[in-house]
Amino acid sequence: MRKALVIAIAVAALATILQAQGRGGRGGRGNDNPGRGDGRETTNQAGVLTDNGGVRYINPGSPTVPEAEINSHPIPRMPDGHVDLTGPWVGGGSNGDIERDGGLKAGELPLQPWAKELRDKRLAKDEPYTSCLPMSVPRVNPYPWKFAYEYQSTGLTHIYVLHETGDAGAHRVVYMDGRPHPRNWVNNWWGHSIGRWEGDTLVIDTVGYNDKFWFDSRGTPHTEQLHTVERWTRTSWGRIENDFTLEDPGTLTRPVKLHFTGRLLRPDREGKADLMEFICLEDNEYGRAAQIEVGKGTDGRK
Amino acid sequence: MRKFGILVAALSIIAIATPVLAHHGFDTEYDASKHVKLEGVVTMVTWTNPHMRVYIDVKDKDGKVTNWNMELTSPNTIRRQGWGPDDLKSGDAVIFEGFAGKVVESRGSLQTIMKKSDMKPLFGPGGPDAAQPVKQ
Repeated sequence: MRKALVIAIAVAALATILQAQGRGGRGGRGNDNPGRGDGRETTNQAGVLTDNGGVRYINPGSPTVPEAEINSHPIPRMPDGHVDLTGPWVGGGSNGDIERDGGLKAGELPLQPWAKELRDKRLAKDEPYTSCLPMSVPRVNPYPWKFAYEYQSTGLTHIYVLHETGDAGAHRVVYMDGRPHPRNWVNNWWGHSIGRWEGDTLVIDTVGYNDKFWFDSRGTPHTEQLHTVERWTRTSWGRIENDFTLEDPGTLTRPVKLHFTGRLLRPDREGKADLMEFICLEDNEYGRAAQIEVGKGTDGRK
Repeated sequence: MRKFGILVAALSIIAIATPVLAHHGFDTEYDASKHVKLEGVVTMVTWTNPHMRVYIDVKDKDGKVTNWNMELTSPNTIRRQGWGPDDLKSGDAVIFEGFAGKVVESRGSLQTIMKKSDMKPLFGPGGPDAAQPVKQ
């Protein structure tokens, strides 16, 4: 029994260390759910998943290419010479706490007082994402996502961002045909995104968001003045970096730069890495174990 | 059985050591102080979104049967670790651990589950159809 206790303590210590590594470093995404391959998958020595970012149920996370193989292939290119950013990727945005996930220290996100107050009073049960509403930018959860290039006779015209879940089935469109942001736009969940290349970096400029989604499960808010600029660079075969500029004069006292890292989804046994079907509303029983009504993040506007 | 004892001890300590960060609102629904370890017979395994569930009939000492509804993560996540419908079926006798619901206690969050026939933990990394390491 003494031996069992020693082993148990050793395993617990290992798991705690691994988790601490996952939360702290990474110069980017701090949280769970997603991550993977960067030390956030905490499994015990018996090979059983025990914890993934603190969520206490079996949750092995989306497998990613191990660190040792991050440079095992050249960065691929499309036939037209553009860098291939397809993925699928895991991580690369916020999830649990945009401030921490984006590489800032606690309190560094320059929220205006009202926004900080709103964030602090929001309840986890009201998180819109848990009611199958879109996560929007820059949030990604533990599930994989990808860039999908659309080529027409004129060349690359659109890039779609497809996320396996959290988006109620929606796809995000990035216009690559040179069009400007429109006037008289109806603000919506994904806003209006236009993209361009700066060398091998895909720059996505987005405006026209609604204010209904949360940046994270902590409840960090924004307004319809939100303007985001993502700079996506595939720095190796297995890694993609997102240098992210967040501007929202309605919520922040100044624009802020964040940084997130995504990892390539590990191929399956057939060597394929694909998104899978996910229908969030299929069997969503969220809240029933506590007999609560979830609020859909409406801050009282049910 | 001794190995199982070690495993349970390890899991319990890890659970205490790790803070809760809700992805899908663990704290909202489940009670971390209501740790359960039970035996029963699987009545249904639902590979549905957003999270899969395992339903288990558990008989108490008086013979009363309660059907536990235990939540896991997304079926896609479990599939990517190499697990599928053949690995746990209705009628399988199991030992499982988890945390009970805050109000409806038999709605729980599943922490670990294994069939009594082989005592191998299910649904973690490294299932029978798990991917091979990426070739260099």
